[in-house]
Amino acid sequence: MMGPKINSRRVLVVARRVVRQLKRDRRTIGLITLAPVFLMILFGYALSGEMAGINLGVVDLGGQDALRDHLATVDDFDLLRLGSESDAERLIVEGRLHGAVVIRGEEVRVLLDGSSPQITASIMTEVKNGLLPLKGLQNGGRMDVGGELEDVEGGWLGGDGIVGGSSGPGGLGSDGDIGICAALGGYGGPGAAPEVVQRYIRGYDLEMMDSVGPAVLGLVVFFFTFITAAISFLRERTQGSLEKFMVSPLSRPEMVAGYLLGFSLFALLQSATTLLVVVLAFGVPMEGSPLTAFGVILLLGAGGLVLGAFLSNFAKTEFQVVQFIPIVILPQVVLSGVWWPLESIPAFLQPISYALPLTYSSDALRAVMLKGAGISEILVPDLLFLVGFFVLAFGAATLMLKREVG
Amino acid sequence: MQEDGLVKGEEFPAADPSQDYSIVARGLLKSFGKLKALNDLSVRMPRGTTYCLLGPNGSGKTTFIRAVAGLLRLDGGDLSVLGEPVHSVNRVYPRIGYMTQHKALYPDLTLRENMEFYAGLYGIEGWERDERISELLEMVDLADHIDRITGALSGGMYQRLSLACTLIHDPDLLLLDEPTVGVDPILREAFWRFFDGLAERGATILITTHLMDEAERCKIVGYMRAGRMLAEGSPEDLKRLAGLRPILRLWVKDPQASASSLAADGLEVEVVGGVLQVRIEEHGRLKEILEGVEPSDLRLVEPSLADAFLRLSEGGSR
Repeated sequence: MMGPKINSRRVLVVARRVVRQLKRDRRTIGLITLAPVFLMILFGYALSGEMAGINLGVVDLGGQDALRDHLATVDDFDLLRLGSESDAERLIVEGRLHGAVVIRGEEVRVLLDGSSPQITASIMTEVKNGLLPLKGLQNGGRMDVGGELEDVEGGWLGGDGIVGGSSGPGGLGSDGDIGICAALGGYGGPGAAPEVVQRYIRGYDLEMMDSVGPAVLGLVVFFFTFITAAISFLRERTQGSLEKFMVSPLSRPEMVAGYLLGFSLFALLQSATTLLVVVLAFGVPMEGSPLTAFGVILLLGAGGLVLGAFLSNFAKTEFQVVQFIPIVILPQVVLSGVWWPLESIPAFLQPISYALPLTYSSDALRAVMLKGAGISEILVPDLLFLVGFFVLAFGAATLMLKREVG
Repeated sequence: MQEDGLVKGEEFPAADPSQDYSIVARGLLKSFGKLKALNDLSVRMPRGTTYCLLGPNGSGKTTFIRAVAGLLRLDGGDLSVLGEPVHSVNRVYPRIGYMTQHKALYPDLTLRENMEFYAGLYGIEGWERDERISELLEMVDLADHIDRITGALSGGMYQRLSLACTLIHDPDLLLLDEPTVGVDPILREAFWRFFDGLAERGATILITTHLMDEAERCKIVGYMRAGRMLAEGSPEDLKRLAGLRPILRLWVKDPQASASSLAADGLEVEVVGGVLQVRIEEHGRLKEILEGVEPSDLRLVEPSLADAFLRLSEGGSR
């Protein structure tokens, strides 16, 4: 039996070696930093339409002068003044408008053609900006409307308009392809800040990039750490260094911990570049602390690493490692709510979804980035699950390494 | 069949109380499925010796080394390594240097970085580490390549670097599984001098090989076959044990005639490629032989360890 105590010096020795190796591997470095950027750009444009030339209807029933004036100054918007909300709705359905803003005193309603998340994001951002001078919305300009929503015509498409409808009645896309999502604000009485209300006139991929971006962030890091760790550990085995470690003072937990430390540096680099692209180029908000987001990503990456270390035991060649991708990565891509909410996954598959780490990291990252959640808010179940997953896989990895080699 | 402390078959001599043993194995058993890799193997390796495990492929040499390294769960038998029972052999890991048949090097690191890594695992740091690295690289004749990428080395260089990494912490027990494969004869000689030096300072060196000339360099040779120790002793002892004597090769005018006359005198003779070969029993008869056949030329051939093992294997399988 190996001693349970971990010698931090030896952990550092392993970490240093891992960093040295990766540092020299320019192609991998390039892959780590550029592939996610490329991927995000690809996703971003594939999921959105054009960004300029947005046709926006304005139904001005008085009030909110600041907002109206602000919208007029946005270059991307071609404004069309309309008499009523139903006109706006009709034009949106006909595809002549991307969206409309209905201003009625304290109430601001935004009608959206949800088929283009990019445009949706752009409109919502500008509406927020226009309202920003007013008190109440300044604390991050969140668009929580939750339970106060009023069902207008179609099904509810996403209770809070971002995280994918868990709070509103009815699931996503429950009522055909033309759903109308609306919410009413202004219940706060005189002097209260206007609440922004979103109505989705068409489409169901609301703010796709907003919702997908944070989740893909996790996916990319998980994928990278998993595959790199699996191959690295396989090499340790095939080149004989693993057996040499076993006859040295280095214990298995120290070895895995060293890898974790070395890899975390690159996982950080990778998540930083990906995060920058997601936030800067695609306007996905970062409401919460980036540090919390990094924490979640690193925790997930750590899980991916130890899972890779564990599964490398079942591969004899690098070719076989690659074959793990469809088994390990693909289910997470499909079932963990990266692209579509868990509620839309058939019930009999949902138990699998809830066993996948990416399900929890996606949820946590969305909460942090879109809703500004802090650690305490994502602790249960997200962080707990991720920690549990990590501990389990770490144990499994070190146990497998303990086994007779060869 | 036992003389001069030689072991044959299952017999296991009593331990010499004045001797300090680095490895004591008694009745080791290990099976992989139907294959008995270690079949009641008993062996004792005194401290400060070079011990060579010789034997054909699959005879259990590597299995034994891995058992000593604590990498195998034995099916039976007692094994202690540097005084520690094998189940807690990890306590003496800092004193063991283990070189597998794999090189255990990182091809994308430089030679220096590879050695620094292994030094780090054993807690060797600072100037002590740098000194040790340059000393060892000098020994394996790689000092000029210290900042090269390891992957660019040739096979023999790889092997040498691997050995240098194994020696980084100046281990008391060296387990070397075929360490000189792909190393040229001159350098191999240097290795052996180095090993002898280590042994003189009290280190125990266990080497596996299937090269006879290499085995001849060791103080003790153990010949393994089918998971058991067939014979053990110094190279000279083993040759004597096998009953081998020098062969006299004689160039004579009529080899066949001379052969039959010598055979009539009770000598062991044969004619190979027109050359008369006589196995010498006693030096006294040398003169008699030479006078009888009047050779135009002659050569004395010492028996090799290979001959000895060939003989012993035949005996063992009978």
